[in-house]
Amino acid sequence: MTSITDPSAIKHRAILFDATRCIDCRACMVACSVENQVPNDVTRIWLAGGEVTGEYPNLQRASIPYHCMHCDDPACASACPVGAYSKHPNGPVLYDPDVCIGCRYCMNACPFDVPHFEWNRGVDEHARIIKCDLCTARVDKGGEPACVATCPTDALLFGDREDLLEYAHQRIKEHPDRYIDHVYGETENGGTSYLIISHVPFEQLGMSTDIPHESVSELSEHIMEFTLPFAFTWGAVLTGITIATHQMHKHGESKSAKETVEAEAKDED
Amino acid sequence: MTKTISRRDFLKVGGAVASALTIGTILPPQVASAARQAGLLDAQGNGSIPTMCEMCVWRCGVLARVEGGRVVKLDGNPEHPHSRGKLCPRGQSGLMNTYDPDRVLTPLIRVGKRGEGKFREASWEEALDLVAANMLSIKEQYGPEAMIFSSTHNLSQVQFENLLNAYGSPNYGTQRSLCFNAMIVGNLMTYGMEEPGRSYDTLEYIILTGRNLAEAISTSETGDLIHAIDRGAKLVYLDPRFTKTAAKADLWLPIKPGTDLAFHLALLNTIISEDRYDHNFVEQHTVGFDELADSVASYTPEWAAKITEIDAETIRTVARDFAAAAPNALAHNGWRTSNFENSFQTARAIAALNALVGNWGVAMFAAAGEGSSALGAPPQPPYPRISAIRLDGVPWKYPLVPYKLGVFQELRDAIIAGDPYQAHGWFISRQNPVGSLPDRARTLEAFGKMDFIAVVDIFLNDTAWIADVVLPEASYLERYDPMLPVGDKAFLRQPVIEPQGEARSALWIYKQLGERLGLGDFFQYADDEDYIRQQLAPLGASLDEVKEKGYVLLPQEEEEDIYHWNTPSGKVELASDTLRNSGFASCPTWEEPVAPPEGQFYLLTGKVGQHTQFATQNNQLLHKYQDEPRLWMNPKSAEKLGLKDYDLVKVTSEAGSVNVMLQVTQGIRPDCVYMTPGFGHISKGWTTGYGVGASDSVLHISYTDPVSGSQALSQTFVTVEKA
Repeated sequence: MTSITDPSAIKHRAILFDATRCIDCRACMVACSVENQVPNDVTRIWLAGGEVTGEYPNLQRASIPYHCMHCDDPACASACPVGAYSKHPNGPVLYDPDVCIGCRYCMNACPFDVPHFEWNRGVDEHARIIKCDLCTARVDKGGEPACVATCPTDALLFGDREDLLEYAHQRIKEHPDRYIDHVYGETENGGTSYLIISHVPFEQLGMSTDIPHESVSELSEHIMEFTLPFAFTWGAVLTGITIATHQMHKHGESKSAKETVEAEAKDED
Repeated sequence: MTKTISRRDFLKVGGAVASALTIGTILPPQVASAARQAGLLDAQGNGSIPTMCEMCVWRCGVLARVEGGRVVKLDGNPEHPHSRGKLCPRGQSGLMNTYDPDRVLTPLIRVGKRGEGKFREASWEEALDLVAANMLSIKEQYGPEAMIFSSTHNLSQVQFENLLNAYGSPNYGTQRSLCFNAMIVGNLMTYGMEEPGRSYDTLEYIILTGRNLAEAISTSETGDLIHAIDRGAKLVYLDPRFTKTAAKADLWLPIKPGTDLAFHLALLNTIISEDRYDHNFVEQHTVGFDELADSVASYTPEWAAKITEIDAETIRTVARDFAAAAPNALAHNGWRTSNFENSFQTARAIAALNALVGNWGVAMFAAAGEGSSALGAPPQPPYPRISAIRLDGVPWKYPLVPYKLGVFQELRDAIIAGDPYQAHGWFISRQNPVGSLPDRARTLEAFGKMDFIAVVDIFLNDTAWIADVVLPEASYLERYDPMLPVGDKAFLRQPVIEPQGEARSALWIYKQLGERLGLGDFFQYADDEDYIRQQLAPLGASLDEVKEKGYVLLPQEEEEDIYHWNTPSGKVELASDTLRNSGFASCPTWEEPVAPPEGQFYLLTGKVGQHTQFATQNNQLLHKYQDEPRLWMNPKSAEKLGLKDYDLVKVTSEAGSVNVMLQVTQGIRPDCVYMTPGFGHISKGWTTGYGVGASDSVLHISYTDPVSGSQALSQTFVTVEKA
C-alpha cells in the first residue's frame, strides 16, 4: 500500500510520512535523483535528524527525508518577484527555472528552509533553485511520486490530503502510546501537502516547531491590508499634531511664562 | 577525493555509450528489435521491460523504463515477491552501474607490472585466445587442479561451475565461508535444508541476532519486519551496535561480542527447565531432546548473564515471552553469520530453539533452493573424474562443509603455502577476493604466486586491477542470465538495452572459453536466447511471452509432507549423529570465544543500506547518499584515548593497519569499534570509490570455524591511536 486514494480521484495530492516506519535507507532520495535527473552534486530530498541521541545504552534514533512541504499558501510564491513559483491546482508548489532570475528571495521567505540554490554553479551556467515538484509529471500520468513508489517499508504514503489526514489521525488514535499527538503539516504555515506523524518529538526529526499555524504569506497579507488605512489614519494624526503644534508655537512665549509663574507660586506654597 | 558528474555529463556519457553499438566476433541479440517483437517497446524505443535486479543477491523484480534505447528509471516489479513494487537504494541506483563512466567496455590485456593498472585494449579473439592458451598450458604442465576458479553468488554461476567441472579443477572459491557457512551448515545439521523459509504474517515475537534488516536490506523481508512491528510484534535485537534496526526494537540488547551463543543456550535452558516447550512437536518431529536437555542443563540465565553482560531476568523474560508467542515467534537464523569461531554453535542453538517451541509450519517452512526440476537445461556430457584433493580442505579437513560452499580463506592460505600442491592460475568471475578475503596482504601474496590471472567483470575492481586479462561483462541491464525459480514462478533477467561497447554476457564468455579449451560439448547452446529456450522447452512456453511478462508459471508440485526433513533421521535433529560421528559436539555447546587483551577493541563489521559488500562503492548515486565511512567509537573510550570526532586515527591489528576518520557515537559498546566494509579500494580504475574510507579486510585476521569452515570476522582485535 503506497497510495491510499485511487490516484485518479485525488483532488489535493499529498504525502504522509510515518517516522515509525522509516529505516533511513534513502531509497526515496536515490529514486528522486534518477526520476528527476537531479545532478549528482545537489539533491531535492535531504535527510533531517538521524543522529543517535541519549546516553548508551538508552538510545534513540529517527530521521526524515525532508523536501518541499508544498504549502497550501506558499511563501516562496508570494516572495518571488517574477512569478517563478506557482501552485498546481492539485496541490504541488511548482518552480519554473526558466522564469527564475536567481534573486533567492524565496530562500528567505520559506519558513521551512526548503529552496536550495546551486551555489556551486555560476550565473552563466544558469544556477537555479533545486526543489521537489511532487513528481508532477509522473503523477499526471497516473503514477505515484518516485519516492513514495519505492519506499520498502511504506513509510511514505500518497493520496488525497483529506484521506491522509483522516488516516493519520486514526493511526494516532489507535496507538496513542506510539505517536506524538500531532499531524505536522496539518496547520503549520496554514497547512502543507507533506504531512508527518512521529514517535519522537518533531524537533528530534529536525523539524522546526516554531512555525506559525497561519501561513507566513497570509500573515504578511493581513499586515499589508492595514497599509492604506494605516497610512491615512497615521497621516491624519500626524497632520493634526503638526497643526496643533504650529498653533501652540504662535502663542508659545506668553503661555509658557504664565505656566512658569504658576509653578513657582506652587513651590513657594 | 570524491568525484561528481553533472547531469549534463550523466546524459552525455549515457547517450554516448548507449549509441555505441559495436560489432564483435559474434553479434549479441538485438535488444531493441527483440523487445519490439515482444511488444515491450514502441517504434520510438520507449517502453517498460520486466527484468531482475543484481545489486545484491535478493534479486528483486524490476520494471525498467526505457526511452529511445536508454534506460531512464527502474521501478520495483509488483509481480515479483521479492520486490512487490519496491526497490531499495541500491536497486534504485542500478542504472548508474550500467552507465558508470568507469565501465570496462573492451577486453583488456595488462602491459605494465601487476597492480600498476596499465592495460591495452584488445579484441575478444585475442583476449579469449590468451586466456585459453594460459589455462591449457597450466593444465598440461601442472594438471587441472593448478587452476583456481572463483565466483560469487550469481545467476550464471551454473555455467561458471560447468566450466570449472568440465576443465576438471576441484578448486572453487565462493564468498560463502566469508558470509553464511555457519548458518547454512547449522540448518543442514538440524533441518536438512540450507535455510528454511520465514513468514512474518502472524509473527508476534521476533529475535534478530545481528540480522540488521534495516541496513542489510532484503526488500520484501525488510518490509515484512517493519509491518510486523507496525502490527504490534515485539522485536528483540542483539547487536553490540545501535543500528537502524536497533532503533526499531522494543528491546535492544548490546550483547558482548562472541556471546550470542551463551544467550541462546540460556533461552534453551529456560524453556526446557520451565517446561515451556511444545511437547507435541518435540515428541513427534524431533530426535535428541533428552540429550539436548542434558547438554544445556548448566546454561542458566545467571550463567549467561556473566558472559553476555545481559542480566538474567531479561534473558528469562525473553525466553518466556518467546515461548508464549510460539508458534507465532521467530528466532532469525541470521545471514552473514561469520562472526566468531563459535558461530556454528550459535546457528545450531537458534535452529534448535525454533524447533523446541514448535514454530515450524507457522513462522518457518521448508524452502526449495534456487533450482527447479521443471526447467530444462542444455544437454550435459559427464564431467572428467577429478583425482586431486581440494586446496581448501573440503572434505579432508572440513568434512561437513558442502562442496559448493567451500572454505575460501583456507584456499588462499594453501595457495601461499603451496601445500598440498602449488596453484598457478586463477580465473575469477564477478567477484573481488582482493577486497573481500580477510588479511588483504596475504590475498595479494597469493595472487603474486599466480602465473596467470583472468577476471570477468563490468569494472576494474581491485582484483581486475591486478589481473593479466580483463574480460568485460555486460551489466545486468544488458544481458540474459539463466532463469531463477521463486515460489511458483521462474523469473527472467533479460537485456533492456543493448550491451555497451564490446561487453558480453557471462553465458557467452564461458561458452567461448569452453570452446577454446576444447570443451565445446559442455556448452550446448547457440546463444543466450537459445539457452533460455532450452530452459522453457519442458514448459511449452515461448521466449516472447516470457519476455513480456518477465516470468513463467511453474507447474505446481504435489504438496509434500511439511513434517519431513531431509536429515538422516527424517526429523529435526536437536542432537545430530552426523556431528557426533565427525568428532564434533552433537548438541549446541558452549565454546568460550577469545576476547581482546587490555587496551584493544573488538573490530566489528556490518552493513549499510546504501552498499553491497565490495561491489557498489563506485556507484555515483550511492556515493551521493552514503554516510562517510568512519570508525565508530563510544565517547567513553574516545575520551580515555584523548580522541575527538573526526580525528584521523590509526587502527592496527596483527594483520595490518589503516588510517581512518573517527566517529564518536553513543551507538556502540565501549569495548568495540566498527568499520563499514567495502571501502579503501586499491583500484584506481574506480574513480568515484577510490580513496574513500579504509579497508577492514586489511585488518582482519583469518580464523576458521572447524565445523562449518566459516571465517570469524569479528575475532580481530585492534588498537586505535591518533594518526
